[in-house]
Amino acid sequence: MTAALLEIDGLKVAYHRSALALHGVSLKVMPQAIVAILGNNGAGKTTTLRAISGFIGLDDAYVVGGSIRFAGERIENRPPHTNTARGIVLVPERDKVFPNLTVTENLTVSWSARASAAERHRLETVVFAFFPALAELRSRLAGLLSGGERQMLAIASAVLCNPQLLLVDELSLGLAPVVVEDLTRRLSAIRQELGITVLLVEQNANVALGVADYGYILENGRVALEGAAADLRGRREVQQAYLGQMSGEERRSYRDLRHEPPLELPRE
Amino acid sequence: MSEKSSLAQELSLFGTSARRLRFALALAVLLVLPFLATPFQLDLLNQVLLASISALALMLLTGFAGLISLGTAGLLAAGAFTVGVLFREVAAPFWITLPAAAVLGACLGLIFGLPSLRLRGLYLAISTLGLHFVVVYLGGEYEARETLSTGIMIDSPSIGGFTLSSGRAWYFVLLAFAALALLISVNLRRTRTGRAWRALRERDIVAAALGINVTRFKLMAFVVSAAMTATAGALFAYFRNFVSIDAFSLYLTVQYVAMIIIGGMGSIPGAVLGAAFVVLFPYAIEAVAAYLPARFGNVVFAVDYAAFGVVMILFLLLEPEGLIGLWHRLKNSRIRRRPGTKSSTAPR
Amino acid sequence: MSLQLLANVIVLAAIYALVGSGYVLIYRVSRVLNLAHGELMMVGAYLLVAVAGVFPSNPPIALVLAALCGLLMGIAVYVVLMRWMTGEAVLAAVLITIALGILLRGLTILIWTTQEFYPGAIFGWRNPPVHLARGVQISSASAALVCMTIVVYLGLFVSFRLTRWGVRMRAAGQNPLLAEQRGIRLHGVYALAWGLSTFTASLAGMLLALDAGVESTMATIGLKAFPAALVGGLDSLPGAALGGLIVAVAEIAAIQYVDPLLSDVVPFIVLLVILAIRPWGLFGSREQLDRV
Repeated sequence: MTAALLEIDGLKVAYHRSALALHGVSLKVMPQAIVAILGNNGAGKTTTLRAISGFIGLDDAYVVGGSIRFAGERIENRPPHTNTARGIVLVPERDKVFPNLTVTENLTVSWSARASAAERHRLETVVFAFFPALAELRSRLAGLLSGGERQMLAIASAVLCNPQLLLVDELSLGLAPVVVEDLTRRLSAIRQELGITVLLVEQNANVALGVADYGYILENGRVALEGAAADLRGRREVQQAYLGQMSGEERRSYRDLRHEPPLELPRE
Repeated sequence: MSEKSSLAQELSLFGTSARRLRFALALAVLLVLPFLATPFQLDLLNQVLLASISALALMLLTGFAGLISLGTAGLLAAGAFTVGVLFREVAAPFWITLPAAAVLGACLGLIFGLPSLRLRGLYLAISTLGLHFVVVYLGGEYEARETLSTGIMIDSPSIGGFTLSSGRAWYFVLLAFAALALLISVNLRRTRTGRAWRALRERDIVAAALGINVTRFKLMAFVVSAAMTATAGALFAYFRNFVSIDAFSLYLTVQYVAMIIIGGMGSIPGAVLGAAFVVLFPYAIEAVAAYLPARFGNVVFAVDYAAFGVVMILFLLLEPEGLIGLWHRLKNSRIRRRPGTKSSTAPR
Repeated sequence: MSLQLLANVIVLAAIYALVGSGYVLIYRVSRVLNLAHGELMMVGAYLLVAVAGVFPSNPPIALVLAALCGLLMGIAVYVVLMRWMTGEAVLAAVLITIALGILLRGLTILIWTTQEFYPGAIFGWRNPPVHLARGVQISSASAALVCMTIVVYLGLFVSFRLTRWGVRMRAAGQNPLLAEQRGIRLHGVYALAWGLSTFTASLAGMLLALDAGVESTMATIGLKAFPAALVGGLDSLPGAALGGLIVAVAEIAAIQYVDPLLSDVVPFIVLLVILAIRPWGLFGSREQLDRV
């Protein structure tokens, strides 16, 4: 039985000490898995990611219940840089690159001060192997990149920080489908070759379930459904509510589910 | 701040009988004080009362409405110079000069307030700083033109046969003005204007979305605050029988800002506490300076600067909610701090 | 405008540009407005006086030593004081710098009294005039100041663009959150910015002291240089240079053709004008306005 890299148990997050944003979210991310968190706007996806990365205090939000364990250690309500030091790196939804720095400079800042020249060289070749387009854009200002290029740069910068767990907030937002497909393929490759675990927050279920191994669907601050990606894709409710495949019946919320047994795979 | 339970109770001035009793006691003490104090102590009391007026004005503007202003010294100068110039040019009596000062203050408030419609926070503060220098320059120009190298001498205000010059008489006059300033502050806070200001302070974009006329309330805050401050400046001119532009430096503005920080931002009693602290501080330093080596004893004002800087830094670092915040923490009546943050205060 | 007047403008512009660069350094990197900058410049000048007393016959050593002390002073100010305000409201940080300025004013008088000092005299240097073309002359110290301003600007430009720390400082200035996520130690970057800022301020202070002596009101020049930084844009170094020029032209023109008493207020009139028409300055970035 392999231990989960990230384990969240009954997580409750409150904003401004009053409004609860997460009402007890539990999820697990196994090492080197790609896990997706799906759900509509306001479901709590980004809040979950922020709670993991430690940047939650900025929104005047706090973990008020439950726990987040990373490699066995509890990390909730800790300052962000300790989480980065542990190997949890976030690709944020907005402001993901330094717009007035060139691509090279963006990548350069991610280098750890302690990395040797050889290490840096290795990382650079690796990054440019995954994102060859970036190699050509080396001296372009990041602010002038297209959306897809910027996302590539953001992911590359994050990878250069040598993460164990990569958190990606809204991979596909504002990007054309072709670009998104390309990005997801590279993400898979990164997981495959570098062994980085990925936790992906996505509004676009098609995209997410296409690349993930396992998925959690959040609704109103709770996990409404979870399962292996293939199984989730096959579920009629998911198809209707999230994959846009209407079948003449009206879209239903998961809470309407009364006669379907909840799909839960045995936990290992 | 209050433990009142209904809106009606909230709007009444003295909710419970306990508060009425406390108020009566305080009033009794205040009325008896001038007869018990030495002339020196009386002068200190008068200075505190005078400073309270401008401190309350600044607190209304910055603590309530969240509009940063570094223009206090300029407004005080404007009020004082109104008295000085009118007295010198046309021998105007106080019942003309005081209202004139208030009106000039209001007009200047409008001018100082205009940048607040476009600028926020730091940039707003910078604009008021610029206006400070303009006002100070104009005062200096007048003094230079009239070759008043030592400033303008002003007669004490008189009416009938009575001249306002004794410490005790000034005490009651200043007490009345301070009480008026207090009343204005308390009332503004409780009414629609105060609530609008509080909304402005939190997020003026949201306030506008809620239908609050942001322009009107921002300007009103500046106008009221400036009129109060200019009036205080005019009183100051009469109090000292003298006005000179040298007294109105940036350091004076910083002292008033310190008053509302040390007292507690957004708190009415805090403004008065802060005023008392800052006014009495140099005297305390002077008393201590007697024990310092002679070399420092000669430059007590420098010791004052240094000590004041240190105190201000300490308050900003350790107790940003001021003396009122400290009081509350000691009383342990409310959990104000969250782990890891020192957020600025919410209005009480 | 006569050539002598032009020369005076250039000297004044250099002063404002050199001092103004310090405001920009700290603001651009850490979004804090350091209103103690004038006082820190003054301390730099006094440091020269102190060091000159130790090495009166060796001006180059004294100058270098004093400048290094200026650098360390900035780092010390950050580490001891400003570090605690990182992450807090910008306004509170600015208020602390105001308080620091007051503290420094008091301390300098306590240490050095209100007497005026002439480090040039301590070195036995008489500050001879430099004769430029056609009867125009400026003092040697002024000439040195103009050259120093150019050198400093070039140095800052190069280090911001080409060195690793420069990239980190620019990154932290653009997006401190992302910088932290990418492993940049913000405290280190901010301390360096403060150190560089007081370093340039000390250079300015020392050269001004060599020119005209130092006494406790020197800090006013620092405050007058602030409009120069603002006019150019608080986060733009080239802006500070241009701003220095604009303010210098306005000030000298006002003194010459209108009224000498205007000298201290003209920079702030320029400030008000720019705030009215283009608050983020000539080269500044607009978003800076909303971040406050």
